[in-house]
Amino acid sequence: MEQVWYTAAAWIGLALLASLISIRIGISVALVEIFLGFVAGNLGAHFGSTLFQPNAWINFLAGFASVVLTFLAGAEIEPGAFRRQLKPTLAIGILSFLLPFLGSWAYAHYVSGWTWQASQIAGIALSTTSMAVVYAVMVETGLNETELGKLILAACFITDLGTVLALGLIFANYDYWLVIFTLVTGVVLWRIPAVVRWLLTRWGGRVSEPEIKFIFLILCALGGLAVTARSEAVLPAYLFGMVVAGLFVHNKVLILRMRSITFALLTPFFFIKAGTLISLPALLASLGLLVALFWVKMITKIIGVWPLCRIFRMPLRESNYTTLMMATGLTFGSISALFGFNYGYIDQSQYSVLVTVVIASAVIPTIIAQIFCHPRHTGPLGEAKE
Amino acid sequence: MFRKILLAYDGSDGADRALKVGIDLAKIHGAELLALGVQGNLPRFSGTIDEVQEEKLFANDQYGKLLEAARVKAKEAGIDLKTLMRPGHPAQTIVAVAKEGEFDLVLVGHTGLSGVWAAFLGTTAEKVSRHAPCSVLIVR
Repeated sequence: MEQVWYTAAAWIGLALLASLISIRIGISVALVEIFLGFVAGNLGAHFGSTLFQPNAWINFLAGFASVVLTFLAGAEIEPGAFRRQLKPTLAIGILSFLLPFLGSWAYAHYVSGWTWQASQIAGIALSTTSMAVVYAVMVETGLNETELGKLILAACFITDLGTVLALGLIFANYDYWLVIFTLVTGVVLWRIPAVVRWLLTRWGGRVSEPEIKFIFLILCALGGLAVTARSEAVLPAYLFGMVVAGLFVHNKVLILRMRSITFALLTPFFFIKAGTLISLPALLASLGLLVALFWVKMITKIIGVWPLCRIFRMPLRESNYTTLMMATGLTFGSISALFGFNYGYIDQSQYSVLVTVVIASAVIPTIIAQIFCHPRHTGPLGEAKE
Repeated sequence: MFRKILLAYDGSDGADRALKVGIDLAKIHGAELLALGVQGNLPRFSGTIDEVQEEKLFANDQYGKLLEAARVKAKEAGIDLKTLMRPGHPAQTIVAVAKEGEFDLVLVGHTGLSGVWAAFLGTTAEKVSRHAPCSVLIVR
């Protein structure tokens, strides 16, 4: 029988180790957590230990983490930048989602022989662009403050919206529950900014954190309704994040508190779980498919994004850079693959391949972009605060 | 001889020794002295924007304090030390700032904060000395 405290200690210990390694080597804690989860999960499987096999409460924490992560990602939109470059943002963002989605779906189904639903999951997981990976690269050079940087980030946002919509709508049951879910979500999203604003003014900043509990309440309630409609809880979470993004910008304390809760207690369980489910034997048996799917993602991203960059008169170097940045993926790809695995649309072998391709797409295009395609103008130097 | 001196500063003992030399050289040559703190450990391949923003805030705070302490030391010695911090790869960033600011001397401490990795990959000082567009003084 599982002794819950030992299991918790093992997972939290792994999360702590991931934090220390991440700080030391400058690689994101998410990636380190996935890697340590992968090592622990495979060692556990080899030696017959169940310590790192996800159970009900770990699944809940990991699921909640994916919802909160999606909410925070939705709250990152910068409406001003989006409006200023509406056409290129929409065009690049939509095609950056659509072509990899269709291409990966078709390849997985017609070439690799995956089932219809498994190949849809492949399409969704490989259509993503990691706004966080892109942002991290651009912060290093100040590019996030330029118009090009803002355009790329806004386009990432549209791509991720496409991913979330696909995840939420493709597998939904088209019955009265979906109608109820759509109506309730619509009304909540319409009224929620005013309610959150009132709550922040009236009850914000207290130690009992009513505003954070309210946000979690909405996320759980809409998530429950989404799952009842066989949709996905990340869909309303992303939309909820979008509509309250403006309020978050002006409330730094709320953001910091949300981040503390998320990074200390929630995301480690999501990323470690994502790692534990990657099977080394399955990976070794599918190396060819892994490489093929990686190239399918890269090629379809290039076909979708690069010509558009040129059409919108972006210089060659900037076009190459934008294309490579839009080809990255990490969190939403992992969320999509885990969704597919949790619902039985893909098996562990397919899950292992998809998550590994997603991780490869976080690393390889980023390195190529930084070395060979970095835009020459990186903006003014910032003076240190004195 | 030197008009603009760039000091790579990370708060280590080596960097402090380079600061002292920088102050002396600035006095002798009547040169402008700028201390650059490179935030080299921001998370790459991040899973969330929040992680990057938090780490950047932390690095800003950490390097802000280091550079302020250096500025106070220089002021006590009668030198007006300008400060600058940038995220990025340490050696690449030092070289880039030296080029952009048209500095004619770069000062680097021999041992920085990356001692373990330096044994395998070479020190920041070695890399800067190979690629800088101007003279480089490695202070031991």
